[in-house]
Amino acid sequence: MTLEELYSKMGGNFAHAKQIMKMDKLIDKYIRRLKDSNFDERMAIAAETMDSTGLFESAHAMKGVCANLGLDELADAAEEITEEFRPGNARKLTDEEAGAKVAAALEKYRYSLACIKEYESAL
Amino acid sequence: MINSDQIKYPHLVLVVDDQEINRDLLGMILEDEYEVIYAQDGLEALEKIREYQNRLSVVLLDLLMPKMDGFAVLEAVHNDEYLNHIPIIVLTAEKSAELRALQMGASDFITKPFDMHEVIIARVGRIIELSEGRKLISAAEHDQLTGLYNKNFFFEYANRIYQYNPEWEMDAVVMDIEQFHTINALNGRKFGDNILRILGNEIRAFLAETNGIASRFEGDRFDIYCRRQDDYQSLMDRFQNKVNDVVKNANVRLRMGVKPWRPNVEPAVLFDRARSACNMARGNFMTNLVIYDDDMQKRELLSQRLKNELRQAVEEHQFRVVYQPKYNIQYDPPRLSSAEALIRWNHPELGMISPSDFIPLFEGNGQIRIVDNFIWAEAARQIAEWREKYGITIPVSVNLSRVDVFDTTLKDRLIGLVRDNGINFTDLKLEITESAYTENGDQLITLIKQLRKAGFEIEMDDFGSGYSSLNMLSAMPIDILKMDMKFVRNIEYSETDLRLIELVVDIAHYLKTPVIAEGVENERQLALLRGAGCSFVQGYYFSPPVPAEIFEKFIARELKLREQKSDPA
Repeated sequence: MTLEELYSKMGGNFAHAKQIMKMDKLIDKYIRRLKDSNFDERMAIAAETMDSTGLFESAHAMKGVCANLGLDELADAAEEITEEFRPGNARKLTDEEAGAKVAAALEKYRYSLACIKEYESAL
Repeated sequence: MINSDQIKYPHLVLVVDDQEINRDLLGMILEDEYEVIYAQDGLEALEKIREYQNRLSVVLLDLLMPKMDGFAVLEAVHNDEYLNHIPIIVLTAEKSAELRALQMGASDFITKPFDMHEVIIARVGRIIELSEGRKLISAAEHDQLTGLYNKNFFFEYANRIYQYNPEWEMDAVVMDIEQFHTINALNGRKFGDNILRILGNEIRAFLAETNGIASRFEGDRFDIYCRRQDDYQSLMDRFQNKVNDVVKNANVRLRMGVKPWRPNVEPAVLFDRARSACNMARGNFMTNLVIYDDDMQKRELLSQRLKNELRQAVEEHQFRVVYQPKYNIQYDPPRLSSAEALIRWNHPELGMISPSDFIPLFEGNGQIRIVDNFIWAEAARQIAEWREKYGITIPVSVNLSRVDVFDTTLKDRLIGLVRDNGINFTDLKLEITESAYTENGDQLITLIKQLRKAGFEIEMDDFGSGYSSLNMLSAMPIDILKMDMKFVRNIEYSETDLRLIELVVDIAHYLKTPVIAEGVENERQLALLRGAGCSFVQGYYFSPPVPAEIFEKFIARELKLREQKSDPA
């Protein structure tokens, strides 16, 4: 699997990643380090109690990193949660709706991690 | 020559982000251009900012972080006077955060997700450039020692105040420290610097209470441009007391000159006059504060005009040499012995200008040599003319000024005058004031020895007016003592003065040196001087200084006496 194929599978924007990191070697290095992040764990724990602060912080972190790696779909999903739980913002969704968004984001994130593992094993 | 853009040093950039991938990505973008260090939360960022405060060129700061967020870091840096010079670029994806961060002192933003490398590098480079420019301007703007403005910035700001706030009545104050170089030499530079720092602090404290700006203009000179004050003596005392409080064991004396505000007078002019006023307090132990007034301005303008017009005055024959006779009073009636050549300036517009107005002026700037040369040449010519006309020699004494002592061509020029006019060396007598000995003793002794060796006779003028008269007598080879006229002034009323004169005459006799008394105005003084053994007198009793043609009456009278007595004096 090529990097470009990986990005395509994850719903990422390879051109954007290339714009930021310039070289395939660097994209390879940083995308594989996404596995070391624990956004999903923090987000999952916060979601259990609908902890606004925890959800905001974990989503914000996920959004920032994913945006920089060119994982645009993940970044957009995380941004929705970030804005929903941003301190000072009025909530637009019910807990149920928000929970569904979080679950979708977590699923997408974990799917991306699985894709990265697949990419690694094919190397 | 090394150009400033060649003097480079590695710029240190601190990247603060709680996400390792973000930190690394930024580091990767910046590492070719900069030395990069990292912090993963606000607390660690603040520690690193403090640790590297003197080396950090810029901080790239994420806003949302655990432990301490970016806003708290911004606030802490902004409120710390040692840190707030470090520019901070905020890393943010949220528009809403930009205004708040800007208000808290952020310099710029880098948006997330990160932009093209070139854009990030350009933004970081630009902020570093701006910040260094500000640092340079700040260093040039302020005097490092006192924190006050440097000269050029001070005048720029003073001019802006003058131009854009003409209704503010701003006075010019100049203050300096008497003999500051001596204080430094005695106590060391650190001691002197400490005094300057104390004054700088006190001036700033004063300016905090009133409107104004101040500069350490140069060395120990402070310029203050402040709203009009009613009581400058109190201000002066405040500064003096502050210095006295801190500096216990040294006598540090401040002096101050003030030029009060006048409409439409620009700061440079005000400060010139305040400086003049400050100079007038130099060595004046009665007062350390001089307020420049209109009379001072008139005097200054006159002084400058006279300085400017001196050469023209010589060329246009506005100067005239006058002669005051000296009489030998051991004869009865007294006999004409010689004359002193003095100068008069008849200005075409200002009229007769007193020598006391222009001689000190020209002594101060060295132009006195022009006047001296004129008198010497004219006196030598006159001696020759009288000898030719009357067949007798009337020696004429001329004054040598303090600056002449340093003139290496003096002896040859005087010898030239004697030879060119065909007179004898003893005909042109040279008067040197006693105070010249105090100022340049060794040099003066050397000069006098040379002049006497050439054949000239030396008269010591104003003897007894200085502090080292007796000391000087033993060291200096002189031919005639000219007693200071203040001794003569009171001899009729003061037993002490009369005794002093007798003492001087005794000393002079012991040294086989004749004594001339100046300033003799009446017959009683003449009698007392004669009784005291004084040989020669000069003064209004016989004649004021007169033009050569009038002086000739004295020569004619002397000739008649000689004919009657066949006894040349």
